[in-house]
Amino acid sequence: MRSEHTEAATNGAGGAPVLSVRNLHTAVATPDGSFDVVRDVSFDINPNEVLCLVGESGCGKTITALSIMRLLPTPPVRITSGEIVFDGTDLTRLAERQVRDVRAERISMIFQDPLTSLDPVFTVGQVMTEVIRTHRDATKAEARDMSVDILRAVGLPAPEERFDSYPHELSGGMRQRVMIATALVLDPEILIADEPTTALDVTVQAQILERLRSEQQDRHMSMLLITHDLAVVASIADRVAVMYAGEIVEEASVDELFSNPRHPSTQGLLRALPHVSRKRRELVPIAGLVPPARMMPPGCRFAPRCPHALEQCWDEHPSYDVHGEVGLRCFNPQPF
Amino acid sequence: MKRIAGRTLYTLIVLLLSSIAVFYAIRLSGGDAVSARLPASASYEEREEFRELLGLNDPVHEQYFRYMGRLLTFDLGKSLTNNADIFDMLTEHGKNSLILGAAAFALVFVIGVPLGILAAVKRNSWADGSVMTFSVAGMAVPNFWLALLSVWLFASTLGWLPSAGCCSTKQLILPAVVLAMEGIALTVRMTRSAMLENLGQDFVRTLRAGGLSEASIVGKHVLRNAMVPIISLAGLRIGQIVGYALVVETIFGWPGLGQVLVNAVLRRDYPVAQFFSLVLIAIVVLSNWLADVGYTVANPRLRKT
Repeated sequence: MRSEHTEAATNGAGGAPVLSVRNLHTAVATPDGSFDVVRDVSFDINPNEVLCLVGESGCGKTITALSIMRLLPTPPVRITSGEIVFDGTDLTRLAERQVRDVRAERISMIFQDPLTSLDPVFTVGQVMTEVIRTHRDATKAEARDMSVDILRAVGLPAPEERFDSYPHELSGGMRQRVMIATALVLDPEILIADEPTTALDVTVQAQILERLRSEQQDRHMSMLLITHDLAVVASIADRVAVMYAGEIVEEASVDELFSNPRHPSTQGLLRALPHVSRKRRELVPIAGLVPPARMMPPGCRFAPRCPHALEQCWDEHPSYDVHGEVGLRCFNPQPF
Repeated sequence: MKRIAGRTLYTLIVLLLSSIAVFYAIRLSGGDAVSARLPASASYEEREEFRELLGLNDPVHEQYFRYMGRLLTFDLGKSLTNNADIFDMLTEHGKNSLILGAAAFALVFVIGVPLGILAAVKRNSWADGSVMTFSVAGMAVPNFWLALLSVWLFASTLGWLPSAGCCSTKQLILPAVVLAMEGIALTVRMTRSAMLENLGQDFVRTLRAGGLSEASIVGKHVLRNAMVPIISLAGLRIGQIVGYALVVETIFGWPGLGQVLVNAVLRRDYPVAQFFSLVLIAIVVLSNWLADVGYTVANPRLRKT
C-alpha cells in the first residue's frame, strides 16, 4: 500500500524499487541501555540490480540484512523504528507467521560461514525438500526434482548423489552452493547474500560470485550483497552503499563510487585496497577503529578518524543528502 | 564401522578383566562360603571336606579357569544356600529386573526429554525455574531416602500405592519412579543445555531464513541435534539404573537380580554372587557399547569413517 508513495530518491531508471528501506533504526538492548547499531538507514533495491552494502566489520551491514529478513536475535536486538517496504507491505509490521511466508519464497538469504550454516544431522535433500514443501504443495518426488535441478544449476557436481549427502561430506564451496541452491529453489525476487565468499578460498570465491551474478541475471532477481571486499564490489555490483558505524554515509553507482568517491570513509576504504596498476604504492589503512555503539561521537561518527574534519563535524551530526544518483552524509566532501 | 569394531573389542577386554576382578574380590572379601551351607555345629573335618568338594582350597587362578570353563559350557552351577539352579534364578529374577529397569529407563526419557525441551524453549520463565529446581532436587536426593519418603507419602499416608511387592503395575510405579529419578534429573539438564546450545547455532538461522516453522526448527532440527549427546549417554543411564537397582529392589522387596545379588553376597554364596555380579557388569559394559553404537547412529558425522 505504501510503496507507490515512497518514490526512491536514489531510484534509477529501473522503475519502482523492489524493496525500500526507510529510516531504519535497529537497537541492541544492554544492561547500560539501548544503543542503535543501525541508525537512520535508507536505501532501495531496484529490479534486476545488485546493490552492495560495504563497510568495515561491525558497521551494521549484517544487522541491516537481518532486519529485512526479520531474523534479528530478539531480544536483545530489535527494530525500533523505520519501514522496510516490500511489495506494498511494511515487513517490520508483519506477524512472525506472515514473515515466514516471505522468507525463501520471496526474499532469500545466504550466510557467511557455509561450514556452520547447514544443519549437520539432516541431508541436503531433507532440508531442501522441507523448505519447498513448507511453501508449496509439492510431492516429495517433485521437491526432489526441483532440488536436483537447482543443485545442478548452481554448479554442484553429481547433484543426485549430493541430494542425499550430509553437509560434512561436502567441501566449503559445495556447501555454499547448497546454501545458494536452497535459497534460490523457490525463485525469490530478492536474494540477500551476507559475505557469501568470505569463508572460502580465492578460486572458489570467484566461482561462487560468478554463479551468483549469472543466477541473478537469469532469474531477473535483485540482490543485496554484503561484503567488506571492494574487489567483490567492483566485479559484481550495480550500485554501492557504504556504511560506517551503523549509518549509510555514501551511495552511488559502482562506476561513480570507484571513480569519484566523496566521503572520506569511502576514500579510506579505496586507499586501503591494493591495485595492480599502481605497483609499489603503499596501502593506506584508515587510522583508528569504529567507535563502539555506546560511545558514538555526537557529531559525525567518522570525525575522530577523518583527515578533513572541521569544527562543525565534531559538533553537528551530518544529515544524509541525496543529489541525483548520489547520496552523501558529509559536511566536507573532498575530491579523491 | 571401524569405530564400532574397535569399541566391540574394547568391550570384550573390559568384560574379561572385570570377571577376574569379581572373582578375586569375592574370595578376598572375608567370610566363609561353607557356613552358608553347613550348620554351625558342623565339625572341622566336615567343613574341610566340603571345601575340598567345592575346590575352595585350590589356588584362586585355578578356580577361576575352572569356573570360566564351566561358564562357557553354560554350566552355571547351583546356589550354596538352597541348591537352586542358577539358570532358573536368572530367568525368574531377571524377568522382574528387566520389567523394573525397562520401566525406569523409559521414564528417564519420556519425562526427562520433554521437560528439558520445555525448560529450553521457555528459558528463564517460571516453568524453566521449576523444572530446573526439580532437576537439582532429583540429583541431590539419595534414592534410598526418596524411596522411604515415597513409601511414607504414597503408601502409608495417602494409601494410593502399595509399599512393596511384585509384580502388578501398581507395585511397579514407586520403585520405577525412584529408580528413574536421578536419570530424569540428569536428562532434563542435558536436554535443556543441548537444546539451548543448538538453538544458538548458525544453521538455525539458515532454517529460519528458509521460512520453516518454529515448531519444525525446534521440535525436529534442533531436537535431533540435541539428541546426539543424550543418546550417547543413554547407555550410562542403564548402568546407573543397574547400580541403583540393588538398593531400590531391596527397599521395595522387588525380587530382581539386585535383591538376589545382595542376599548372595551377605551369605557368601560364591557361585550366585559371582555369576550375578558378572551379569550386572555385563549389562553395564554392554550398555556402554550400545551407547557408542547409538552415538554413531545418531551422529551422521561419525557414520562413514
